[in-house]
Amino acid sequence: MKTKNSEKYTKWQKSFERETKIDLSEASSDTDEGIKIKPVYTKADIENLSFVDNDSLPGQLPYTRGPKASMYTNRPWTIRQYAGFSTAEESNEFYKKNLKSGQKGLSVAFDLPTHRGYDSDDDLVMGDVGKAGVAIDTVEDMKILFNDIPLDQMSVSMTMNGAVLPVLSSFVVAGEEQNVNKNLLSGTIQNDILKEFMVRNTYIYPPDPSMKIVADIIEFTSKEMPKFNSISISGYHMQEAGADNVLELAYTLADGMEYVRAALSKGLDIDDFAPRLSFFFAIGTDFFMEIAKLRAARTLWYKIMKDFGAKNEKSMILRTHCQTSGVSLTEKDPYNNIIRTSYEALSAILGGTQSLHTNSFDEAIALPTDESARIARNTQLILQNETGVTNTVDPLAGSYFIESLTDELSKKAWEIIEEIESLGGMTKAVKAGVPKLKIEESATKKQAKVDSGSRVVVGVNKFKNPKEPKVDVRVIDNNKVRDDQIKKINDIKASRNQKAVDESLAKLVAAAKEDSNLLACSIDAIKNRATVGEVSKALEQVYGRHFATSLSVSGVYGKHFEGDEDYMNVAKKVNIFEEENGRRPRVLIVKMGQDGHDRGAKIVATSFADMGFDVDMGPLFQSPKDVAKDAIENDVHAIGVSTLAAGHKTLVPELMKSLKKIDPNSKIVVFVGGVIPEQDYDFLYENNISAIFGPGSNIIESAETVIDLISDKIHKNN
Amino acid sequence: MQLVEKIVKGERAAIAKAITLVESSKENDKKESRKLISELLNKPGKSIRIGFSGPPGVGKSTFIESFGRYLVEKNYKLGILAIDPSSQITGGSILGDKTRMIEISKNPNTFIRSTPSRGSLGGISLGTREASIILDAAGYDFIFIETVGVGQSETMATNLVDIFSLIVGPGSGDELQGIKKGITEYADIFIVNKNDGDLKSEASKTASDYKSAISYYKKSSDVADKEVLLVSAIEQTGMEKVIETIQNIVLQNKKNKNFDERRAKQFTYWIEEEVREIIQFSIQNKIKEDGSISKFSQKVMDGEIQMFDAIEAITQNLQNK
Repeated sequence: MKTKNSEKYTKWQKSFERETKIDLSEASSDTDEGIKIKPVYTKADIENLSFVDNDSLPGQLPYTRGPKASMYTNRPWTIRQYAGFSTAEESNEFYKKNLKSGQKGLSVAFDLPTHRGYDSDDDLVMGDVGKAGVAIDTVEDMKILFNDIPLDQMSVSMTMNGAVLPVLSSFVVAGEEQNVNKNLLSGTIQNDILKEFMVRNTYIYPPDPSMKIVADIIEFTSKEMPKFNSISISGYHMQEAGADNVLELAYTLADGMEYVRAALSKGLDIDDFAPRLSFFFAIGTDFFMEIAKLRAARTLWYKIMKDFGAKNEKSMILRTHCQTSGVSLTEKDPYNNIIRTSYEALSAILGGTQSLHTNSFDEAIALPTDESARIARNTQLILQNETGVTNTVDPLAGSYFIESLTDELSKKAWEIIEEIESLGGMTKAVKAGVPKLKIEESATKKQAKVDSGSRVVVGVNKFKNPKEPKVDVRVIDNNKVRDDQIKKINDIKASRNQKAVDESLAKLVAAAKEDSNLLACSIDAIKNRATVGEVSKALEQVYGRHFATSLSVSGVYGKHFEGDEDYMNVAKKVNIFEEENGRRPRVLIVKMGQDGHDRGAKIVATSFADMGFDVDMGPLFQSPKDVAKDAIENDVHAIGVSTLAAGHKTLVPELMKSLKKIDPNSKIVVFVGGVIPEQDYDFLYENNISAIFGPGSNIIESAETVIDLISDKIHKNN
Repeated sequence: MQLVEKIVKGERAAIAKAITLVESSKENDKKESRKLISELLNKPGKSIRIGFSGPPGVGKSTFIESFGRYLVEKNYKLGILAIDPSSQITGGSILGDKTRMIEISKNPNTFIRSTPSRGSLGGISLGTREASIILDAAGYDFIFIETVGVGQSETMATNLVDIFSLIVGPGSGDELQGIKKGITEYADIFIVNKNDGDLKSEASKTASDYKSAISYYKKSSDVADKEVLLVSAIEQTGMEKVIETIQNIVLQNKKNKNFDERRAKQFTYWIEEEVREIIQFSIQNKIKEDGSISKFSQKVMDGEIQMFDAIEAITQNLQNK
């Protein structure tokens, strides 16, 4: 505090207040994390820090400045683009093309049925096959995926959490059948089930058996696959679901602690597995905050692992992959996304990430095209080759602002970690639904800031482009993909040794019952050509399938709009509607198919309710038939379908059919929101969809549109 | 009336529209609703109406999902009326019951309707009673009525259902002291949920707490015994015992006429309420037209007349209209 009162500081303060006409104490900006960012930082701000050691160097504890001494000066970060397209053949082509153009590692995106442990021929997944990633039904698909890609040389990262056992098994068997022993396989499997219960919802089993599977994989890989990262502890999806950076940081590290405990319970020595734990964070547009987050993450993980009793230095170092934020991308004026992604990428680099995925600008709408993927990759190549950012390690170290922010983030995250620990750890916290609710609250606040205009999003709520550019997007013929997959499944089922399959599945069930390691048994079953769905279902017999109950926040959205004219206008319309119709406008908000991203649906539900609507919430993973029954029994005025995984072209027409089937005179207004390419708009309108709300839609405006549509329909009928 | 036929035939959309009608706050709809209900009362079904209440967090919806699944597997038709709280500030609501009734909500033998509470507590002014008459006429074997919180137990038990059950969690025996009187009086069945895993012994203990609590209750000879049951909604255990108990209570109460008496009493309440509502409505209109309240208030303010004299004058005035 001494320096603050120095003559120079006082002089500066006077100048500042004269220029801005604002009292300095009022001049801070509030971040989502509840941190006050001051207009200026001084030496005083980095004295007496709680977590950060100002004298430490890169590669030295507490590793704030980076896991390695040389960092990018020796070898730049790995450009690791995440991709997966419908079929194994197509994805394989795409990977090979990328590897030729300078990409170093592979990252596989799977389709939702694979995530949730369903084969492509399952009725439940009709609209989801090949959407948002590649469909893997058997090891044969996995072999095609890595055709001509030598698995002993290529590091492969797989985003898989629900069906980890059959998918990792398929990878191992695909390697074996390429004559690559499993101890040579390198890469990462996400295997982070806890965050699935918080945000992404692609789990299969309840939390406890799911944690057992995580621990089995850590145990198996630590013994048999020394080059393979057994888990990628992911905060990414939390930020995507609306968590602020403190929540993302704290929950990710708390997840990490829970996995460490799970592995320790297997009798493993901490230093046997901890060096293979890796992390995965999202990098959003809050430039300095994101840099500070990565520095804070390393600092805190060091402390955590030291407290766990790790002795090997490698156990205490947090290594991370980063991806630029998908949720920061906008559908409106999409070329702005290239700029956003560039800044985010720079943040990740200045924060010291080990590998990076940069999003394609069209990903707010669809899977990337070859062209948009190239631009995304070049974003990183330019950073590596043209900007000089690789010449100095942790160039922002010593910045009063960055160091102070790193420490403050650490402190705030530590408080939340302690809170989770006091609940008995993350598994218990997840069962109680605490983190999920906190993240939803944060998401709703963020949305309210954008809708009320207090946060500017260029091209969306300010500086709109009067001439929206038309962007070509990748189109997927989902029915063809599904038919092809079904044919492949049938061929394999006809040619495999059924007795061997049955026996190996029975062994898997037995292993689950007696609580022994499941991965080895799963590898055997997959080797015998059991399908991903069969392996998952076998375990389902023992563990059951998990259905999450869902809690909702209320009042958070509305609070940001006290006195807002547009908001009050909608609320008034709702009241008039009630007087005229004897009840409030009633809207059912649903997710259909296997798409578990429910942030959008939740935000719409809570904010519509805040505006006075009666909002029915459907469960996750509903079929169109279930939705129709629900809508008609509750006699809702409208159904809002939230879709983020490209299933709408199959599922929405199915819903319209189901509605007519139960009630041929159904007057229910159906609207769709989420990620929908403009090319599909006409198709949806032809199917009698009344309105489409893309990403970045203002919820108040949407609510007004919906109530007007409902009123119109009622008047037409009278 | 075409709607009546469709309801009796069990057409889902017709049932839903009819419930909307009886829930409507519009005067016109209320008249229509009365007409509809009087026609439906001539076509009674044979449903048993069961009320479920319990403090938050005891797994009410999960129990209903589990028990409901058991019933539909036995081919019973099940109607569920769930009342969710409306926000007192905005009037809106989030109706999330179905996120906890995933399996049964898909089943063609169920009809599940959520209703926002709109500030009402017991569910009566919401048309829940009328809704249960609609489901009864539509041929549902069981009608479950689920409300928020325990506070509405009395209204629900005395006005709406044939059997009232309270769902509680392990360890709730301590709270028993405070709510004992209401419980022993109104609940027919106590269901102790979460009889599974680590909570098993706690659940048993809670069950015996409840058993000893109801033993103090002075049993009238012709009413079926109150029962305490242990279940696990998650593991779907104890469900057979629940349905057995319900059927036993119904049988016994039917034999000793208690069942019909209870329904008759509910009709009396209903008539009283309707009468009260109609009178209240007409008197409100009279007050509005009459204007003597504001006239006399002014006189009171001006000191021309005593307040209680004014009140008497106003009432006289209104009664003579």
